[in-house]
Amino acid sequence: MQCTPRGVAHGGMGLVFDQDRQVQMTILLSKLRRSTAAIALAAATVGFAGNALAKDMTITVWAGGSNDADSYRIEAIEMAADILKREYAIMGEELNITVEGKRDFGGWADFKQAYTLAAEAGTAPDIVVTSHLDIAPWSQAGLIVPIEDYVDLDAWPLNNIYANLMEITSYNGQVFGIPQDAESRPFFFWKDTMRAIGYTDEEIDALPAKIATGEYTLDNVLADARKAVEMEIVEQGYGFYPRVSNGPDYAQFYQSFGGELMDKETGKLVLDKTAMTEFYQFFVDAVEAGVTRKNHLGTDWDQWYSEVATGKAATWHGGTWHYARYTGKEGLEDFFGKVQFSLIPAGNENGRANTITHPLAYLLTAQDDEETIEIAAQLVSIASEPRINTLHAVKSAHLAIAKEQSNIGLYANDRWLTEATDVLLSEANAQPNHLKYGQFAELMFKGLETAWTGVNTPEQAVAEVEAEMRATLGDDLIVR
Amino acid sequence: MRRTDLFGLGFMAPALILTIMFFLAPVVMTGVYSFTNMSTATGISGGAYLISPATIRSLTEQGFQGDAIERLSSESYVVDEAGLEAAEAAGYTPRFIAEIRSTLLGDTFTGRRDFERALKDLSHRPRSIRDLKKATELFQKSVLNVRFETEADFQSALSSLNLNLSPAEAVFLTETAYTGWIWTSANYDRAVNLPSTYRATANSAIYVTFTLAFNVGFGLFLAITTFYLPSGQAAFFRTIWFLPRILPPVLYVLMWKWLTWDTGFLSTLLSHFGVPPHNLMKHTATHAWVVVVLINGFVGASMGMILFSSAIRSIPQSMLHASEVDGANRWQQVRYIILPQLRWPILFTTAYQTLSLLTSFEYILLSTNGGPGSATNVWALYAFKIALNNYGGNLEYGYGAALAMVLVIIGIIASLFYLRLFNFKSMITSPRIEQ
Repeated sequence: MQCTPRGVAHGGMGLVFDQDRQVQMTILLSKLRRSTAAIALAAATVGFAGNALAKDMTITVWAGGSNDADSYRIEAIEMAADILKREYAIMGEELNITVEGKRDFGGWADFKQAYTLAAEAGTAPDIVVTSHLDIAPWSQAGLIVPIEDYVDLDAWPLNNIYANLMEITSYNGQVFGIPQDAESRPFFFWKDTMRAIGYTDEEIDALPAKIATGEYTLDNVLADARKAVEMEIVEQGYGFYPRVSNGPDYAQFYQSFGGELMDKETGKLVLDKTAMTEFYQFFVDAVEAGVTRKNHLGTDWDQWYSEVATGKAATWHGGTWHYARYTGKEGLEDFFGKVQFSLIPAGNENGRANTITHPLAYLLTAQDDEETIEIAAQLVSIASEPRINTLHAVKSAHLAIAKEQSNIGLYANDRWLTEATDVLLSEANAQPNHLKYGQFAELMFKGLETAWTGVNTPEQAVAEVEAEMRATLGDDLIVR
Repeated sequence: MRRTDLFGLGFMAPALILTIMFFLAPVVMTGVYSFTNMSTATGISGGAYLISPATIRSLTEQGFQGDAIERLSSESYVVDEAGLEAAEAAGYTPRFIAEIRSTLLGDTFTGRRDFERALKDLSHRPRSIRDLKKATELFQKSVLNVRFETEADFQSALSSLNLNLSPAEAVFLTETAYTGWIWTSANYDRAVNLPSTYRATANSAIYVTFTLAFNVGFGLFLAITTFYLPSGQAAFFRTIWFLPRILPPVLYVLMWKWLTWDTGFLSTLLSHFGVPPHNLMKHTATHAWVVVVLINGFVGASMGMILFSSAIRSIPQSMLHASEVDGANRWQQVRYIILPQLRWPILFTTAYQTLSLLTSFEYILLSTNGGPGSATNVWALYAFKIALNNYGGNLEYGYGAALAMVLVIIGIIASLFYLRLFNFKSMITSPRIEQ
């Protein structure tokens, strides 16, 4: 834009100083040429600027494992698009962003299949909301780019995100994603049942602390669950009512018996055979004691939610986000009066009371169009504003990603989120970002399934898991 | 070639193209994939070269040490004239470059974030954080966490590090740094050595044998019983038995779930007689197998029923009339007239369904999903989960393809066996029924 006035002024000065006619003619020609060039340049500049001024962009977002309560995983990006558009407008540029979101995938397996195949085919969305565990394989395959290359981690709002969460979304020392939410997976007790088997209110209130110190263990869970079944307060199989499908939850029980998922020194995955056997044995014991159903795995999720939210089960384990479902769709009115929650109890003296947090992260798909990645990164950054993330946190009962969220009324006034953050998040660890952790977790669960359903004894199951892990994970495995 | 031959070929062309595209090509591709270690992490379309902390760990385990490992694992950014020239060429503003020169020239940074922060402090820094971060790459003297798209780029970056590696070490380094898939026959070794493979084999054998027996036996039973019914009633019953085949599988299996679950119809009914509720679909492996065989069996039986019914109808009525004159009862008619004439349809159904059952898993996926505890995890479902669908999302395309390839080979062997058993040539020359 600066070219136009400068060109004209220069031509004008030529007219004033040259007297000789011929020289004047030459100058005139030269001036004409320059003016033409200037006009052409101006036209080009305007044209170019026009392009830059009115830019239309479509940013696609896919969110895995999301239902209606998680709608802000996509809506936050829409809100961010609006803010970014306004920021551009103030800077004199017109940027129109259309956000296209999709979250109706069958389940995690279908979602991950859809994303990986789409990414290989070059039709993946610009932004994907998924488990932090996908960062390792997806980055190795070049499907995603480190978000750190596109955003300022030292600036607001990213500098306000909990450092341990940022660590979970990093791999190989690079920040690949921005945490979208945090959660943890607590153990639950139905208070009425606990009272009926002889607990006083004070004892129930003291449970979380006793669990945290290792005084109340999984053995006590079995004993209490058995009592509830024997006293016919709950039906057979409803003394301890675990998650019905594979998930990070089961790694917690491995940790309860002293299992370690990854060796920090070597970065290798760890199969602790004793811990694994004891972990499987616990579920087998639960089945034999009649407190857990032998065919429990594969129970319909809707049935499961409705049963645990109505007190049909004495004890169970789930996620912090279940609160939204229990008190929402399942109609549990007095959550705090009916339900006690705690860490997952320790299994024995080798293990510890623990809980796993499994944050989802906003990741950016690799593509040739750097500008789209940059805009997508800016949207993710804005969507991580405490106030915007709080909408998601409270609506879906997920924990905060940023420190400032505890100063936002909506979050601070939510009793569940503040209590859960207090009791659980400080003790939470995450599963490791490792290229082969997916296979490790699959095999661990497969072994559990065969022991639980009586196809194998725990020892046989662990032997089988060991053989499979050695073949599948090779050098990436340490067997203890 | 004669013109008529070409004409024939022309007619066949669409079918040939479809056969090649949808049958031959997938089999060939599966065969090719089965000799790779392709997975989500290696990607399908090829790899890059990357030295990451994980690579460094493998290298250390393989005996890399000293300077080489030190240089590979460290990050280093040096602000020098070469970098500034590169920045100029990349189009950064002269003011920004001048500011770098005046404040940072000669400085060395051992971490990218430190260098970025130093650049961020400059007053003429680019507005876009992406452009600022890209500028750091121009001063980079290390390879850690840099993704090189081609081997040539990778090697030239390595050569600037002066690693002094032996040729064998250099090859190992390149192989370790490569992120893409490689050719291997390890998938087949792995399949042979794993207990889960044997379980899947046994499960497939159980599944095919029992479902086939049910399909053919029940199909035959339906065909014969409806044959002796008045035609209106026969049509009515056949239609009923045909319903499982025309129902959408998801709906059909859902009805089975409602029937068999512990909160379902059967359990509710039995609870009135004091039987505690059980999930009859998943209570034990036996329960699961009975349900799986019945779900598939009812679908398969309807096909047998149609084929056998039409074959029975083509038996000359005179034979049946003659037998009645001779005083044969129904059972004798079935035993001595109908069954011998159905030999070929029965064999055909058996052959056809063996092959389709070997590769089918959709009803199992929808009902037991291989459970309880892998008890009904048949080979095809096992391969599908490994290659394309599992909770962790780490899809092992190469290993899954090897598993699928085994099915293809078994299928081909079975087809050849059946063709021989049928004596295929004689079947297409003259219909047996009229001999």
